[in-house]
Amino acid sequence: MTLAPERPRYDPAVDAEFPPPNLGRSVHVIGPVVNVHPDETPHPKVRRGEMGKVLFDYGRNTISPDPLARTNSTRCRDKGNVFTDVLRRAPAGRINPAKTEVPDPAAMSRHIKNVGRYLGADIVGIGRSHPALLYAGGTLRDTGFVVEGEAGPSESPAELCRKYPYVIVTPVAWDYELAQAHRHHIGDAAYDTTLMQTVLVLTALEFYIRELGYTALRGKVNPQAAALAGGVGELGRNGLIITEKFGARIHLSDAILTDLPLEPNQPIDLGVDDFCKVCRKCAETCPTNSISFDANKQVFNGVEKYKIKWETCYKLRPLVTEHWQICLTCSTVCPYTKPNVWWRTLAVETLRNTPHPLRPVVVKSLKWLDDRVWGKVANKRVRWLGYDSGVRPGVKACTVAGCTAQHDAGGHPVDVPMADIGYYAPLKENVNRFVKR
Amino acid sequence: MADRDPYWESFINRPPADPNNLITHALKQVRPGGVNPVRTEVHSPNVMSRHVKELAQFYGADQVGIVSLASGQLFAIYTLGSYIRELGYNAVHSETDRERLAAAAGLGSVDAAGRLVTRKFGARCHVADVLLTDLPLAADGRA
Repeated sequence: MTLAPERPRYDPAVDAEFPPPNLGRSVHVIGPVVNVHPDETPHPKVRRGEMGKVLFDYGRNTISPDPLARTNSTRCRDKGNVFTDVLRRAPAGRINPAKTEVPDPAAMSRHIKNVGRYLGADIVGIGRSHPALLYAGGTLRDTGFVVEGEAGPSESPAELCRKYPYVIVTPVAWDYELAQAHRHHIGDAAYDTTLMQTVLVLTALEFYIRELGYTALRGKVNPQAAALAGGVGELGRNGLIITEKFGARIHLSDAILTDLPLEPNQPIDLGVDDFCKVCRKCAETCPTNSISFDANKQVFNGVEKYKIKWETCYKLRPLVTEHWQICLTCSTVCPYTKPNVWWRTLAVETLRNTPHPLRPVVVKSLKWLDDRVWGKVANKRVRWLGYDSGVRPGVKACTVAGCTAQHDAGGHPVDVPMADIGYYAPLKENVNRFVKR
Repeated sequence: MADRDPYWESFINRPPADPNNLITHALKQVRPGGVNPVRTEVHSPNVMSRHVKELAQFYGADQVGIVSLASGQLFAIYTLGSYIRELGYNAVHSETDRERLAAAAGLGSVDAAGRLVTRKFGARCHVADVLLTDLPLAADGRA
């Protein structure tokens, strides 16, 4: 009988060398944290068949009928056409033996942020590493599907943190307009393209740090935890990092663990903690009912946070893969996810500058405004590249895969009244189908 | 940028100690993926041209604002090539004759030094690799 392998753990009561990490108000490490191994994360479990045959087939054998989905993701005919695979196949460079001296870590931090933004990142967050934020071993690569085994005895999270004290995240934001088409090929394209761009930025930055003469490790740190430490955002009810400028519409993908001398950021306070306590927009619109409605957070594996049920969220995918891939509902509907304009900045700054005891009042007003102006369910119609998110799946004007437009096909009009578009509203029947009651 | 950031100058100008650490070099080493043996039904050529141009812009230009950065261009070219290959048509990128073909497509004209001069950016633009394909498209200019 094989016993479960012994995983390293971080215990705040015992590990005096590492006091509990400061991750802001939305997440607290309050008990022993058993480090998670990449093998235990969702994608590898699906790929091993632990989540059943349907998901196994979905993870390995799906070729999307939509040409854009075949371009942007692993649901393609030839995996060599996926850009993230290209990056992974690129030959690795050596660490420059001529190390750049860093007398002023603050100046180097500013420089890394300049470089990150130049390479295409929308935010660059630098945080302090901590054993609780790391995986138990191995390496979890970009798409989450590839786990590289240890080549020899792997170092424990504590040892890695001693050697490499900093984490860097370089999120890229999804296009706001396109991401409004949640549960549609358009939203998928926005999401998948940003994934590839984020990995491009991370890889380029990793290479550059090696050129500076320092080590940059990928796939060792939980990206959400690193983003919290790096002051990128707070963790919301939907389990996503919610940022100051882009709300929940960012892609983190991975974090870089490095020993380049840097000055870390402080965790940021955006009022997300206060907002999520009151607002349940993501929970109300999630088609699989995977988000908690509880006002209080849950303590799981020593970490206090809002926890989603990833199994039910994930299980939706094979059922809808004909029509779309990435749900996006919980991030699109989040009140923080707005275009980056002045009134949004005003709202967030007002909330941030309100003293904590008075925040519930501000939150309730902002939520009321959000419900009035944007509605309870995000159902904006988006047209892009021949796709039309207002058209029900199965109803098409053109015979070409994925296209719902009426153009020189000689067209049948596709003007479905908004009331008939059951596409966005979480139908009772949908919820029952996807969730075991 | 260089006056407030003491490392910026060397980031931009210093040649790498190991060329594999340059992302553009790394991207150039990798061969493109295979062509989908099943050909997808595509639109008429002028609709496809519109779509391909819009996709190119989406992958390279407005999205992240890295249109002037070589790695962004390589990402755009590669992903556009992937789109065409997944549709079942060939797409290879080449460096030969870039400026001449760009001028033939109506993007500008070639000056005496062989550089592309455009209306919007003058001579300050870099022509990325050309994508050669057999996807039926409506041509912009004369080749």
